[in-house]
Amino acid sequence: MKSFIHNTFFSTILSIGSNKQLFFLSVTTNFIAFFVLGLFSLLFVNLNTLLSTWDKHVQLIIYLDDKISIANNKKIELLFKANKNIDSVVFTSRDQAWKLFQNDFSSSSKFITSLEFNPLPASYTIKFLAGINRLENIRKFSELVNSQKGVESIEYGEKWISKFEQFMIFLRGFIITFGALLFSGMILIIANTIKLSIYSRKDEIDLMSFLGATNSYIRTPLLLEGLLQGLFGALLALSAVKLVHLYIIYRFKETLESILRSVDFYFLTNSLAYSIIVIGCVIGILGSLLSVNQFLDNRNLE
Amino acid sequence: MVKVFNLYKSYGGVSPVLADISFIINSGEFVFLTGQSGAGKTTLFKVLFGWERFNRGQILVGGLNISKLKSNNLYLLRRKIGFVFQDYKLLSRKTVFENVAFAQQIIGVDAKSVKTKTWNALKSVGLLKKKDSYPSQLSGGEQQRVSIARAVVNDPDLILADEPTGNLDSKVSKEILALFEQINLQGKTIIFATHSAEILREKKCRRLTLNRGKIISI
Repeated sequence: MKSFIHNTFFSTILSIGSNKQLFFLSVTTNFIAFFVLGLFSLLFVNLNTLLSTWDKHVQLIIYLDDKISIANNKKIELLFKANKNIDSVVFTSRDQAWKLFQNDFSSSSKFITSLEFNPLPASYTIKFLAGINRLENIRKFSELVNSQKGVESIEYGEKWISKFEQFMIFLRGFIITFGALLFSGMILIIANTIKLSIYSRKDEIDLMSFLGATNSYIRTPLLLEGLLQGLFGALLALSAVKLVHLYIIYRFKETLESILRSVDFYFLTNSLAYSIIVIGCVIGILGSLLSVNQFLDNRNLE
Repeated sequence: MVKVFNLYKSYGGVSPVLADISFIINSGEFVFLTGQSGAGKTTLFKVLFGWERFNRGQILVGGLNISKLKSNNLYLLRRKIGFVFQDYKLLSRKTVFENVAFAQQIIGVDAKSVKTKTWNALKSVGLLKKKDSYPSQLSGGEQQRVSIARAVVNDPDLILADEPTGNLDSKVSKEILALFEQINLQGKTIIFATHSAEILREKKCRRLTLNRGKIISI
């Protein structure tokens, strides 16, 4: 066992040492692929955070007709009570709305203060409970309320949120597809690097087989070499993505604050970062296995 | 030690490389495998060594049935056999000592035993003084001695020597043959492939002569 472990490490180091350029070429290719994937993931993580933050702030505002009857108003209020997804309801009368408006804009326009009538309608501001179907609940409820008599209009920014959600679905699909393509590409790159590595040591590997080495004895150092290529590629890529993340925070601090408001600009989640490392290792092993098995199959009982 | 029954091997050409050959070699025997180039000597070795498949027949080496051996278990067969190549197959970046030690390291012999056994093997072929030399610093005869030391160091039951004197001059060839005789005296079974008339004259022993894939004398 000790001899096996010693051989594995010694043989791997020897192989990497005698094929330095190939090893670094493969690590670099993996690095580039994972770096691109990492940048897309960084974008996705932050847009997703932004979307969920916006989701939390989405509220439904129901503007009432000035001539709404008391009975119709009560009907609408009953709808609020019947809906279990509603967190809070705030009523703003026409007078309250006008006062708030005047307070907010009096300094910027004399025209507003000089108006002799109140143009604003009374409204209900409704906040919904947090949950996966929050937006869908708002959408359904708005449709219900909109059909009631005495409702002038409804506002909750449905269109742009919906478009943003669609964009996020597209981005997620794009990252998965792009990742899958990179995954297969990287397996082939590692497989070819290991193949070249095997052929550069063909005589030695053949001799091992002649002298009675087991297949696992021959295979393990080569698998380790592939694993290291994938691992180093993934680790370097994650480090580079982290540097990009820090650079963006440093260089575009003010721009980010104005875009993201109170939301931080996040690095990849731990699970995503670990997944990239694990995928790197898996790609390395699979790529290596592909070449080693092909070689050993050709070598044993041709 | 080696039992071959109706061995048939063809590469798909008109005539087979080995055509239904049968023979038995007992433990401790020294057998010359002779025949012209292309007679099938190397193919027979490759088949005995599990390096190539055969179409029909049965081969037993040290009790192991080769046709029933899965490729993952070929190492079991190869550990029973010491192979000496015509072109030595030494690793150029390893010293003489390391080349012989390598054969033990890959089958998991512990470091202490590796040192002792390598020492003894090199002593038996008279190359202890050159243990730190690299193959490129040795003559052909010396390189073949290293190859022999490597073949015997794991104490195999059978030695297959494929034209071991093919690249050597007459004097060195006789020395190499003497070395094999010495190994044979220790009880090892030896199959020595050669087409050198001089070598065949040098030692009187059983001959397996192949001609166009058939055994013409046993």
